[in-house]
Amino acid sequence: MATLARHWAVLLLVFPAVARSAAAQLPGVAVERQLAHELGLSVGDTIRLGPRPDTAGTLVTISTIYEPRADPAEIAKRERHLRMHLPDLVALLGAPDRVDRLSIGLRAGISADSASAVLNRSAYGFRAYPSASIAAESSQTFRVVSRFHRAIAVITIVASAVFVLCIMLLKVEERRLDAAVMRFVGVRRRTIFGALLLEAILVAALGCLLGTGLAYLAGAATNAYYRRFFDTVLTFSVITPGIVWFSVVLSLLLGALAGALAAWRLVQTRPLVLWGRG
Amino acid sequence: MRGLGWSLRSLGRHRLRTGLSIAGIAVSAAMLLDMVMLSGGIEKSFADLLLARGYQIRLTPKGTLPFDTEATMSGAIQLVTSIRQTPGIAAAGAVLGASLYGRRRDSLITLFGYGIQPEAQALYTIISGGDLSPTDSLGVLLSLPAARVLQAKVGDSVTLVGRLDPQVVTAAVGRTLMVRGLVRWVYDYRDQPSVGTVLPVMQSLAGKRPGDQASLLMVRAAEDSAAPAVVTALRKRFPQLEVNSVADLVREFKQRLVYFRQLSYILGTMSLIVTVLLIATLLTITVNERLGEIATLRAIGISRVSVVREVLLQGVTLTAIGSALGIVLGLVTARYLDSILTSFPGLPAAFSFFVPRRESLTRAALVLLLTGSLAALYPAWLASRAAIAEVLRAEAA
Repeated sequence: MATLARHWAVLLLVFPAVARSAAAQLPGVAVERQLAHELGLSVGDTIRLGPRPDTAGTLVTISTIYEPRADPAEIAKRERHLRMHLPDLVALLGAPDRVDRLSIGLRAGISADSASAVLNRSAYGFRAYPSASIAAESSQTFRVVSRFHRAIAVITIVASAVFVLCIMLLKVEERRLDAAVMRFVGVRRRTIFGALLLEAILVAALGCLLGTGLAYLAGAATNAYYRRFFDTVLTFSVITPGIVWFSVVLSLLLGALAGALAAWRLVQTRPLVLWGRG
Repeated sequence: MRGLGWSLRSLGRHRLRTGLSIAGIAVSAAMLLDMVMLSGGIEKSFADLLLARGYQIRLTPKGTLPFDTEATMSGAIQLVTSIRQTPGIAAAGAVLGASLYGRRRDSLITLFGYGIQPEAQALYTIISGGDLSPTDSLGVLLSLPAARVLQAKVGDSVTLVGRLDPQVVTAAVGRTLMVRGLVRWVYDYRDQPSVGTVLPVMQSLAGKRPGDQASLLMVRAAEDSAAPAVVTALRKRFPQLEVNSVADLVREFKQRLVYFRQLSYILGTMSLIVTVLLIATLLTITVNERLGEIATLRAIGISRVSVVREVLLQGVTLTAIGSALGIVLGLVTARYLDSILTSFPGLPAAFSFFVPRRESLTRAALVLLLTGSLAALYPAWLASRAAIAEVLRAEAA
């Protein structure tokens, strides 16, 4: 079993320090890009690190500047990180041979669940978790956000549905005079109904096309804004074919339903009433 | 009143379209109200939580926020004593937060422990039993979930252990304490099993006794208005600590939840756009249909201003009815949305995202009424410009 220990702590960059020439024998640290940028640090610089502001701190040299993995759970915190070798960190903290957690790689064919169960049977002062359960636990936040988004989506869909119904109803009712004239010249009700329904579906289809384009634009704007805002490469808005398909089908159905309802009312009304003389 | 009656009759002529419009406005108004509550609710709820016991200032290790990391500061009692002597400060207390375990028969239960100074605490309210005295090193306070998992009640003894050593399979320290009271910890998340002891006991259990460690100092200024000045003075005096007022912490929290605030602005704006489009479309079509009627009214001497007023009144009437329904709908949906968001892991149980306040309800209603009036401007302008003779001739044809 390969074992990797990890230890973390709040460290303070006491002050950027000394000449590069003395840096060769100093412990090296890896600094994340944003932190390096904010403090104007570059590879080879020497800094003092301390666990508290009132300590003299230990000299370390910056050996690497790395791009942190984009983590949605971390972006809002705007925490800055650096990484160092475990012995260097425990020496700095004065906490020898103590770690927060251990990562264990299992041999092929051994299940993480059964290994965790075995470890937990004799565990005292620690607890073993399979990576999957940690992932599930840490994704809890996103499950909540996802539920919230779904609830907002339902409200938005209801509002949009009422809006589409209302607009389509008004659109068809706008054709009262045309419908009256067609009835006067002998056009059959069924033909008028079909024409109005077709028109409603065409309008709904055009609206779907525009709406889809608008959604892609809004999605791109959302991603551009939040990527810049959080200085990350994460994707915030994803428009999948499934979402487009659902929206288009729903809009077409609602458009057709509203069109049919309004057209039915129109063809059932006497032509003179439609003409305004009934 | 005659104008309102005319507007209602006019809207009643097309019940289906009016009904649909009102339904649309109601849903939009509900959404707007929810978003107004969300945008201000986070801030309000968090500030209320922090000020629950009147302590306006927090001191933490440099570069950290309260309980954001496991960092501690040393010399807690000395710091507190020094702070208490500062002019303008009414109370100050140290808090240590740590993980520890409760023993129940053969098993150990993970608990969260608060080390407090009972004479200056801002973390709990007593539900039953009594409080700890400042020197009570034999007593413990339990949250209801902790009492449940430890199967303990007021007067019982519980054993707390800390610093478990996996190699020798033993706890470095253990204390048997008597339950003095059951309390509600202000910042606990739902079902968090928490216990509280006086600071030295918790320091001993957590291994933070050397150096007299604390996670946080809480300070109450004598006057709320003096808090900013006290913060400035404390920052100058303790440069090695992070000194934050409640306003600073709220600002930081808002920054972390900026997504929800921005989402509320975007969805609120969309709701308003939908409302404007609905009202404007409905009234424009209604005005176009009634051009003959409007021209007749104008021909018999009804003034242009009266016509404009009637159309505007129709817009306001639609908005008012829709908004009234929307407020009820909004309050119901806000409760549901709040129940979703407050299930965030680690969020204090007392926190709320959607806070119904008179100001937010009034603001949403005013914005909607203004929007409804603005949306009716275009159709009102169309109605006022109706060419009387031309329209009447066309109607007669």
